[in-house]
Amino acid sequence: MTPTIHAKIDNYLAADLHSDLSDDERRDLHAHLAECSACRQLHQENKLMHATLENILTSEKADSTFEQRMLAGFRSHVPKQPGRARRFLVDLMRSRAIQTAAVTALLLVLIGIGRMLTFERSYSFLGNGEELMAPVELEKGRLPRLPKADEMFARLNGVELPRANASPAQSEAAAGLKPVDTYRQDDITRLGVRSSTDVIQRLPAATGSTVPNEGAAEVERTAVAGSNAPTAEEVGPTPTQTPGPAVVNRKLIRNATVDLEVAKFDEAVQKITTFANEDHGYVATTSSEKQENGKLKGEIVVKVIPENLDRFLQKLRSLGELKGQTLGTEDITKNYFDTDSRLKNARIMEQRLVDMLKTKTGKVADLLAVEKELGRVREEIEKMQGDLKFWDSQVQFSTVTISLVEKDIDEAAKFLLKERAQLALYTPAVEKIYNDIKALASAKVQITNAQLDRDNSGRISAQINLLIAPEESDAAIARIKAMARVENFKVETQRVAQGGEGMSENARTKRDKVELKVTLSRDEDEQAYQQTSLRIRTSAVDEKAKQLRGLAEKQGGRVLNLSFSRDADGREFASASLRVPMKNYSTVMQSLGALGKIQDVSVARSERNGVEIDEANAPADLSIQVYSGGYIATDEGGIFATLRQTIRQGAETLLWSLRMLGIALAFLVPWVIAIFVVRWIVKRIAQARRKS
Amino acid sequence: MMDANEREKYRAAIHGDRDAFEMIIRTHSREMFAIAYGILQNREEAEDAVQDALVKAWKSRWRVRDPEKFPAWLCMIARYRARDVFRKRRTIPLQELVGHAPSCPTSSSSDTTVLERQLHSALAALPELHRSALTLRYFEELDYQSIEKLLGLTNGALRGILGRALASIRKQLKPALASLEQ
Repeated sequence: MTPTIHAKIDNYLAADLHSDLSDDERRDLHAHLAECSACRQLHQENKLMHATLENILTSEKADSTFEQRMLAGFRSHVPKQPGRARRFLVDLMRSRAIQTAAVTALLLVLIGIGRMLTFERSYSFLGNGEELMAPVELEKGRLPRLPKADEMFARLNGVELPRANASPAQSEAAAGLKPVDTYRQDDITRLGVRSSTDVIQRLPAATGSTVPNEGAAEVERTAVAGSNAPTAEEVGPTPTQTPGPAVVNRKLIRNATVDLEVAKFDEAVQKITTFANEDHGYVATTSSEKQENGKLKGEIVVKVIPENLDRFLQKLRSLGELKGQTLGTEDITKNYFDTDSRLKNARIMEQRLVDMLKTKTGKVADLLAVEKELGRVREEIEKMQGDLKFWDSQVQFSTVTISLVEKDIDEAAKFLLKERAQLALYTPAVEKIYNDIKALASAKVQITNAQLDRDNSGRISAQINLLIAPEESDAAIARIKAMARVENFKVETQRVAQGGEGMSENARTKRDKVELKVTLSRDEDEQAYQQTSLRIRTSAVDEKAKQLRGLAEKQGGRVLNLSFSRDADGREFASASLRVPMKNYSTVMQSLGALGKIQDVSVARSERNGVEIDEANAPADLSIQVYSGGYIATDEGGIFATLRQTIRQGAETLLWSLRMLGIALAFLVPWVIAIFVVRWIVKRIAQARRKS
Repeated sequence: MMDANEREKYRAAIHGDRDAFEMIIRTHSREMFAIAYGILQNREEAEDAVQDALVKAWKSRWRVRDPEKFPAWLCMIARYRARDVFRKRRTIPLQELVGHAPSCPTSSSSDTTVLERQLHSALAALPELHRSALTLRYFEELDYQSIEKLLGLTNGALRGILGRALASIRKQLKPALASLEQ
């Protein structure tokens, strides 16, 4: 205890003077003071100083009015505020939730402003503010009760009604007109579908009026009765005396074509006939055609009365999948009535000519001329009558042309399996194999092309194309393959659909003749599957090189070349390249080890993608260098070489690290300079400010 | 721990209760003065610093989250304020300062005034934290724990600070004290 007190005597003494020591501590301190005279001395000094400090500092102490001055100062500096609201605000600001909410609100406002800006921009393309309002007004226009909108609808009706007049159904709708509805119609007219099928489809009665025999008069009446009242009330400025009859007597030809895909052709035809009968029509023509794959397609022309056309078309949809539909209307009213009036005139003309002939006055030449003219007029009349009749028939009945196609019409009838094979063979005796393959020729194995090439360097190659009957093909190919080493074999099979295209489950597949193309080449030309190069160090180079030959032949390979040299220093050097089958490669490598010390073995293998390779028999090339020991060895090994190498590597590493240091400096120096410059500037600014 | 009453007072002051704040001025401005004086060693300047610090504290009172730390926070503001004043003063020639501090008692040349001058120069040589601790102790006679709290010191650190401060003064005052003893 005592030593710690002695070490920290200053702290203890101060705390003692300030009566901050615990009882134990004080007891220990006094025990120590009793022992230690140096500390006792310090204690005395401290006590004295403490008293002085107390004396002096108490005089410096804030006087009794200090608080009052502070309060007064504070009051004069901070005037009294209207408390509550401000306090409340301060309270609010202090709350985390409010702070979060404020930040969120700020963000939202920013987003809102951003949105407003972009919104404005998107509309600002329209031009000034008035146009900006345009879409809003359009929106309003859809509300039925607004006066402006009503006005607009009245105008729209004016445009629409002359055509709408014809139909009682439509004018009924017009009587209790719904604004939205008309609005939509206006859209349609604006789109330019004025006399389109859509409008006409909604006026079945109008087209019905063109049916001459039964409905004409009745329809005309209803049309006039129905149309007058609403037009007078609603249209206002538009002409009320719309010529009803002209509209009623319209001659419209309505034709439709429908493309359907059905399951069964005959069933569809039967159903169409039924539908036609139901709708007061008839089947005009039917034609069908059978495809090679047994599927039927055909065309049916049905005539139905125009009122039932839409219903009929609707029914047709139930037959199968609708591939396409067109509905066309041709207005022949003008032509029809023109022809009609011309016909009447021509009839009068005829009558007059006939009268002329009856009176028989004048010259014969004149009579002949009259007769001729009468013939021309009659011909014209007949033509016009024919036209009218044709038109009547066209108007009376709508023509629906239905193209029917059975499902999977383009299904293939059968498939032909075509096979093309390529076979590349390597053999030492090209000519013999060439003749062997040619000898295979028979009725089922035909040779289409055979060719044997021998160039002036004695290299020989051959090519034979064969056409083999499908049942013989496998056997023949196998036989040819067995004749020599297969370098590669490729078969390409093609399934050709006949009589259609696409998939078919039931179609037959027939195998076609196989085309086989055989290429024969000498095995020296073959690229080695694996190439190995190595060096052998031995004392007796010549002898070992000769041993190589024997070794290669024992392993079913051969020596491709062998050379031997001796230089002036007495170093011997032999290089040999061997070719052995892959299966014997490892044995050869093992026996090479017996010849001498093997060095620098490197193996390269060329993988040929997508080619079938007989790996066991593939050739492996060995390129071997045999050399005698001597100077070469001293270059490569020994303690000095190692030492030299180590020093060289050390120097290289040192240079490299120097370079790295340079790079690092290049990175750092500009930054360091920049930092110093900034610090200097800041210092100067601070100094300048302090001076001012 | 602080009693609930006091705590409530601080809370009210933070929330803008002026009366509570004035109450705190009454109870704590002396401590602030002690600290400011410790740094500045000049009564007028220290008073101004405390005044400024109080206004500043009122304005930024909402920054205090924990009411218990309010007195310490006040002292901190006073400390910073005094330090600012001290820094600004630094450019004033030293002689003026030396002449200024013992200005009033220069006329009499008694032992106490010599001692007082020496004491002041000894105090000036101390770090400001040590001075503040001393003034808090000798002006307000606060116990160690309270001083530690006000100055934001860790538990027990003050003993070392005051010990060293006293030792340092003692060394400088040794001759003067010796003469006083005789």
